[in-house]
Amino acid sequence: MKVKGKIFALLILLFLLLLAACSDDAGTNEESEGTDGETTEETASDEDADPFGAYEEAITIAIGQEVDPTDTSLEEGETPLNNKYVNHVKENLNIDMEHAFTASPANYDQKVSLAIASNDLPDAMIVGPVELRQMVEADQLADLTQVYEDYASPAIKEIIDSTDGVALENVTFDGKIMAIPNSQASADGIHNMWIRKDWLDELGLEPPTTLEELKEVARAFVEDDPDGNGEDDTIGLAGPDTSNKLYANFLESTNNLYGFDGIFSAHHAYPGYWIEGEDGEPVYGSTLPETKDALATLRDMYAEGLIDREMGVREDSGESVISGKTGMFSGPFWMPYGPITDAVTENPEANWQSYAVPLDENGEYTPHLSTPTSSYVVVRKGYEHPEAPMKILNNLFAHESEFDHMEGGGGPGHYPLRLVYAPADEMEVTTVAMREVLAGTKEPEDFYDMPAYKLIKNDVDTVFDTKLEPYDNMDIEYWDISSTSFTRAYSALVGTAPQVDTEVNGVKSLIYSQTETMEGRWVNLKKLEDETFLKIIMGSEPLDSFDQFVEDWKQQGGDQITEEVAEVVN
Amino acid sequence: MKAKGFAKHYYLMMLPGFVWLFIFSIIPMFGIIIAFQDFNPGQGVFNSEFVGLETFKYMFQLNDTPIIFFNTMFIAIMKIIGNLIVPLVFALMLHELRYIGLKRSIQTIVYLPHFLSWVILGGVMLDIFAYQGPVNQLLGVFGVEPILFFGRADLFPFLVVGSDVWKEFGFNTIIYLAALTGINPALYEASGIDGASRMRMLWHITLPGIRTTAVLLAVLGLGNVLNAGFDQIFNLYNPLVYSTGDIIDTWVYRTGLLNLQYELATAVGLLKSVAGFILISVSYYLAYKFTNYRIF
Repeated sequence: MKVKGKIFALLILLFLLLLAACSDDAGTNEESEGTDGETTEETASDEDADPFGAYEEAITIAIGQEVDPTDTSLEEGETPLNNKYVNHVKENLNIDMEHAFTASPANYDQKVSLAIASNDLPDAMIVGPVELRQMVEADQLADLTQVYEDYASPAIKEIIDSTDGVALENVTFDGKIMAIPNSQASADGIHNMWIRKDWLDELGLEPPTTLEELKEVARAFVEDDPDGNGEDDTIGLAGPDTSNKLYANFLESTNNLYGFDGIFSAHHAYPGYWIEGEDGEPVYGSTLPETKDALATLRDMYAEGLIDREMGVREDSGESVISGKTGMFSGPFWMPYGPITDAVTENPEANWQSYAVPLDENGEYTPHLSTPTSSYVVVRKGYEHPEAPMKILNNLFAHESEFDHMEGGGGPGHYPLRLVYAPADEMEVTTVAMREVLAGTKEPEDFYDMPAYKLIKNDVDTVFDTKLEPYDNMDIEYWDISSTSFTRAYSALVGTAPQVDTEVNGVKSLIYSQTETMEGRWVNLKKLEDETFLKIIMGSEPLDSFDQFVEDWKQQGGDQITEEVAEVVN
Repeated sequence: MKAKGFAKHYYLMMLPGFVWLFIFSIIPMFGIIIAFQDFNPGQGVFNSEFVGLETFKYMFQLNDTPIIFFNTMFIAIMKIIGNLIVPLVFALMLHELRYIGLKRSIQTIVYLPHFLSWVILGGVMLDIFAYQGPVNQLLGVFGVEPILFFGRADLFPFLVVGSDVWKEFGFNTIIYLAALTGINPALYEASGIDGASRMRMLWHITLPGIRTTAVLLAVLGLGNVLNAGFDQIFNLYNPLVYSTGDIIDTWVYRTGLLNLQYELATAVGLLKSVAGFILISVSYYLAYKFTNYRIF
């Protein structure tokens, strides 16, 4: 019995030790954070503010970074922490990069949520509007008002100012700037229709313009065996996969792949957006009759087999684009950075072209437009060098066009804390410039002095590497696919062409951020919406369940939220 | 005296288990306080504002709450039943095999899926039941229109249960086979001499012989009735089947981790724990009553 008792005592002792060890850790952490916070303010005001100045002594910053495990663009010996981008930061600013965490693109948001919930934050990371608000309320963020004032480079300030104050408004809480906003090209938020032109030609069809013509093309793609393999295995119009949405919404207004954005907006339906109702008050687009009409159209198309049968269930709708089974899908201009480059490598005859379709009944193109800013760099409260992330971004913007020509692999996504800074019309201007150079009406040198358009010099210089004669025909056979400039040039000359050649009568959301009640209720309202709409389209619920949805939505907090939105807007 | 020396090793062997339990089960228990707070990660568990039962009120207003509890129970109970009967029947059939080599190889093959994770098997399942997958092609031969299996809310629970039983029955069979070998062969010989047929032997010797094992497994399974299998469902489901396939664990994961509604997720998790505690107590009482099996 004695032995037993001793061992029990030992076990209990061990537990106590463990407990003590745990609480000890927590204690010291808090203390050190507290003192760090005080020193920060001193150093920040003592130093001369130089947006590009290197630190005399190397400092370390631990960031949360997205690392794509399937990305093979890095060269032998390079790692996410050892490549030309990270080394550039080290050489120019004397900042050592560390990873507080890494996550694949699909899991990054989750990892950020986890870091917020456990209050175990990296020194800096990129977050979206929802997380930003959460972190501000949890008092986890450093006040960057002074940092932005003193350290943001003039070029970046100029671009942020070009958003008419929207970018700064989104990160200002109680008069303080709590994050560094990005500013993206509006092209990210315009979802055009990508169509296999070689299939159109094969079947003797013209590119569609109206919704009816789009349906006819989809029907032909499904029924008339456009790939000529004798099997009934083609998809007319791709649908969203499990990581994409039926349509972009006011919180995530850009880069929705394989959605039905265009079909909704051709009905003048803007689900997921806050728009002005008939009485001038804000209404939520998803609850309007136009949305019901659009859902009816989609429901018919799905029932007739014109839309991918496996929409909503697929892991990645891009796979069937690459393997040549899909005839049409919706996406922004940069789809060559998505599945298209792979698709044309797989099959050099896959002539993917982009069109501003479908048009509304008046023949106008009326897509929804995005917010100029949607991602933010945040800095942990108590980090000793809150200006370091700003310097890293200054450095990126000043040197972005040089990276492509440096030794070493890896795409621009490897730059730590990379935010996109682009004038709203960056892509449209680039497209026009490249066309003029191709046509010979202008020389590449004419575009050298446009610092805000940071990639344009490179674009006009390299366009002849990939575009073959005739220069005014964009079909895939007149391109050198193997050139390193192909993806970028194809995104500009083909992907951006629709909004250059068509007049865009776009619709903006009244707000692009959350209101207070949304924090608690929005998730469940959104789930209700997503589930109902998906089921209506796929035919597992009647079209009239839309009316029930509108009622439920209003009851479960929608009315209250609408009032809040009205307050914000007015 | 020797026996006491022995005991030391046992305690030492228990130690890692206890440490694990302490770190991963006891310490996190303090986190349930989040359910009663307006939790603010910046201020932590100790300093967040206390709001009482606010979150629980909201939880019971939500349409989702009854649905996820029903789904969890429905899927879990079906799994318990399936995982009881299928391995039992299979073990009985295997037991009748005379050819030992064949018996062994079948046994090995059927329990292989047990060792694969749902991440892999989930992908395999999705492919097999895809719109143009093998199952639909087979159905096509008989003139059946292709079915989007994992988009059908009415089929989803059965796919989940079926695939779980398929994955686990080989492993559970082993337990029954062990119980079967425990039956005294003399009983079979004696009944053989008395002229009993195979079916009679099965009914009067084999089944009573493994009754205790079967009842014990069934009763202990009750403790799992609120665990419908997070990793399986997480890898198979999509918004189309939330109405019948979303279980407490997946819902808590999405609400708490993806959507930052910590309080709500904790409250639902707490409710699950309370219900689970009651069910485990009942099942252990039943286990004691029917099979004299005691843990405490």
